[in-house]
Amino acid sequence: MSLLPVVEAIEASRISTVMRQDPYFSAVVNVIHLLGLVIFAGSILIVDLRLLGGGIKKQPLAQVARDAQPWLIGSLILMLSTGIPQILLTPTKQYYSQWFWLKMEILPIAIIYTFTVRRMVAQAAEGRVRPVWRMLVGLVSIAMWTVVPICGRLIGLLS
Amino acid sequence: MLRPLFEFVDALPSSIALRESVYGYTALLTTHVLSMCLFAGLVIMMDLRLAGFGNKKTPISEIQKRLFPWQTLGMVGSTITGVLLFYGQPMRYYGKVFYWSKIAMMILALLNLLYFHLRTYRSVSQWDTDISPPMNVRLAGIISLVLWAAVVATGRLTAYDWLTYR
Repeated sequence: MSLLPVVEAIEASRISTVMRQDPYFSAVVNVIHLLGLVIFAGSILIVDLRLLGGGIKKQPLAQVARDAQPWLIGSLILMLSTGIPQILLTPTKQYYSQWFWLKMEILPIAIIYTFTVRRMVAQAAEGRVRPVWRMLVGLVSIAMWTVVPICGRLIGLLS
Repeated sequence: MLRPLFEFVDALPSSIALRESVYGYTALLTTHVLSMCLFAGLVIMMDLRLAGFGNKKTPISEIQKRLFPWQTLGMVGSTITGVLLFYGQPMRYYGKVFYWSKIAMMILALLNLLYFHLRTYRSVSQWDTDISPPMNVRLAGIISLVLWAAVVATGRLTAYDWLTYR
């Protein structure tokens, strides 16, 4: 079954039309999404740098991660709640964008990874996880969370 | 006053080449966003600590010392890509209120940063581990948060044709 009829139905729906008719709606949503991204990037990087052996040293990794957690979750919620309206706004454009689909494949993996593997490693007692594994977990996190915003930017530029 | 300079850059062969290259703008803008994440993301982490909103358990001097090299790297990346983005399309930005607002906010943010580091930061040993630092320190953090958020917002808004004059 093709998704296209569903996508077209969303595009023709009342909510999508109303959002498109407001000239400022998409810009405001976009700006909030970007502000959320910057906060998210900061709260990811402050922990990933530590996982890689750089960054904050005078503080246990588990504490750095605990301090970053509310900002990480808050900004993720902010981005999801401004990301979904952007899909509803231009569903056909998203459907035809290979970057949208790549983002939708990596994003759930990155979220699950962040709140399972990365979280466990960050919360583990000092010295329990070998440095090489800690670094690998940090590198995978940085790699995935770099690809996601690249895809996001390219949906707008190359679709 | 600035218009002839902008027009001069606009007519340079290298500016035209950048403007007309197929992926130049895309690559620069994407790199600009990534380096912004590195710079602004880690500046926000420092500002939240100064403002007393987050990262409260870590000494301020430790955050400053460890994040500074990465903030600098992000700043260098955003500046290079930003200058090149401007260089390729100076006349697109010349008449834009959002562009000039962004420049103004950046200057204010840098003045705030300089004042904080040259004056306020000298007494860091007295409030390094305070969960809620003194008012002037908190204020520096809050001002920085507001200004960098405004820089990001006005930067994104240059993509639209609003408040654009010829």
